[in-house]
Amino acid sequence: MEKKKYGKQRDDHIVVLIGMIAAVLILMAFLKGKTYYSLSNLRSMIFQFPEFGILAFGMMVCMIAGGIDLSLVGIMNLAGVVAAIMIKNGSPIFLGVLVAVLIGAACGAFNGFLIGFLNIPAMLVTLCGLEVYAGLSLAITGGPAVNALPDSFKSIANGSMGPIPYVLFIFIIVALLVAFVMKYTTFGHEIYFLGSNKVAAKYSGINTLKVTVLTHMFSGILGGISGIVITSHLNSAKSSNGETYTLMSLLIVVLGGVNPDGGRGRVLGVTLAIILLQLISNAFTIMRAPDTMKTFVNGVLLIAALILDVALEKRNRKRM
Amino acid sequence: MKKGKRNSMLTSTQMILLYVIIVFCIIVGLRQPAFFSVATVINIARAAIFSACFALCEMIVIISGGIDVSFPAIGCVAMYVPMYLIDKGMGSQSAWFCFGVAILIGLGFGLFNSILIAVLDIPPLIATLATSSIASGGAVTIFGSHDYTSLPEGLQKIYNTNLITYVDPNTGFSYVLNILVLVPIIASIIVAFLLKRTMLGRGLYAIGGAKHAARVAGLNVRGLQFFAYIFSGAFTGLTAMIYTTLMKSARISALMGDEMIIIAACVIGGVRITGGHGTVSGTLLGVLLITLVQNSLNMLGIPTSWQRFVVGIIILLGTILTSWQTKRSLKAEKA
Repeated sequence: MEKKKYGKQRDDHIVVLIGMIAAVLILMAFLKGKTYYSLSNLRSMIFQFPEFGILAFGMMVCMIAGGIDLSLVGIMNLAGVVAAIMIKNGSPIFLGVLVAVLIGAACGAFNGFLIGFLNIPAMLVTLCGLEVYAGLSLAITGGPAVNALPDSFKSIANGSMGPIPYVLFIFIIVALLVAFVMKYTTFGHEIYFLGSNKVAAKYSGINTLKVTVLTHMFSGILGGISGIVITSHLNSAKSSNGETYTLMSLLIVVLGGVNPDGGRGRVLGVTLAIILLQLISNAFTIMRAPDTMKTFVNGVLLIAALILDVALEKRNRKRM
Repeated sequence: MKKGKRNSMLTSTQMILLYVIIVFCIIVGLRQPAFFSVATVINIARAAIFSACFALCEMIVIISGGIDVSFPAIGCVAMYVPMYLIDKGMGSQSAWFCFGVAILIGLGFGLFNSILIAVLDIPPLIATLATSSIASGGAVTIFGSHDYTSLPEGLQKIYNTNLITYVDPNTGFSYVLNILVLVPIIASIIVAFLLKRTMLGRGLYAIGGAKHAARVAGLNVRGLQFFAYIFSGAFTGLTAMIYTTLMKSARISALMGDEMIIIAACVIGGVRITGGHGTVSGTLLGVLLITLVQNSLNMLGIPTSWQRFVVGIIILLGTILTSWQTKRSLKAEKA
């Protein structure tokens, strides 16, 4: 009985998301059909969303575990800066990518350790973490961006196989990986459990410190991957790239049906939310609306998503 | 028994902070003897004026069990709109008008925050993040972004009123402390009185410590949350106008990104991020420490590009220290 209600609720959310996507698509068909529905526009959209989409998965994992990761953008830039400097100085691209991922893992593990071991709220630790990681990347670069990276590195996020950009494959692989971990591994189940009831999780024998550290490490690794993608995409690395992505990934995650208190959320919902936001943001670009209006609309959407969640939950409770 | 009490007083968060501040001052002083001067005191006081005001707002919200990351955006709108109106010839030049509009704007956004949080039950962090992007995105879209660098008459008069004027006998530079430094001082006294001696203040601690228990005990949880966010919003508006007066500038993104440092100041000052704990004196010491660090990194010879990292590390250490302190005091309560 309990399980059935659980499934029902999630379907509701995904239906709403699909409805919103359809609404945007139909609206744009009327307003700017020709430009919006062109192959080049589709391709430009695909080039854009993986970098913040991957970040959003990191945020999702942490939020399901009952925490939050506000340091993702800092990790992303730190990983990007270090990898860019290494690659520029002649190290193989593979090594640069590996180092970026390792940096992500290390930063995440550091966050997780402080959260789990010292019991400091995740929000506080990651807020400090953001300052530390961003500060470190600023210190490494000394201010100016690291530019002019080799073409082979640039092609990671700018190249494509036929009409399909490479980054789409990267994004799909990451999404499948996250979905697999969350759904089919013990670790994933422990994350959900930790997020829904920390005390119960502890007393039922879950090593909460280990799960917290691993969760944030996972999120950090995703931050590192995203650092590679954004650095390659912009062909430059600096400490302040993608500063709006923190809000963006929070918005995506909440819009995607992840419970801000932890314990609930699905990769499918988050993926749909990523697509929805990219569609909206692209619509704004095509309509030549200012960027600040996008910020405004994102804020409104965030609130709307939460109000919707509260309303859906109330209705479900009534149905019981 | 008595000894235990004295011990705990000597190792309270405030005292530890005070030791840290003293040690830090000595280190800076050893490197730069010029640090110990009246000029430094005036500079630090001037730099701490708005940080202290913002920290008081944030402290009240955190004590009530929430968090507010929207105050930089609210402040920016509150300082920008009055200047915009005056520039377009729609407002008067008096200080009353500027401060009035700024406070009203702050009040409005505070009300918005409190509806989201108290009525709709949206988690405070996410609600205020949304408010922040609505405020800054909306304001730029409607009003555009312009730098106002001249003050209307009323504010100029305040700008010219100084409490202390100190002329350095060696260099001949004069250092001035504006009359507005009284605002955080008076506000601190009011807030301290409010939190310690009134039902309202005790209620804020109660809902921050245990919301459900507070409700069962008959407190108006919603009303108290409304008070916390609206007070914080209005005071943010006031502080933003102080910023404009002292800096002689109003920009739509002037304060953006300040939330981090202010929250950190509160936390270092012993305000528990989970709510229910915190004192005005601790918060002010936290602000003092952070302002000191920010303003003396140059004196210590740390290059600009490293400063963000150093500040971040110091904040992180402060956070770790206070959480360790909390852990210990929780243990002591249990024992």
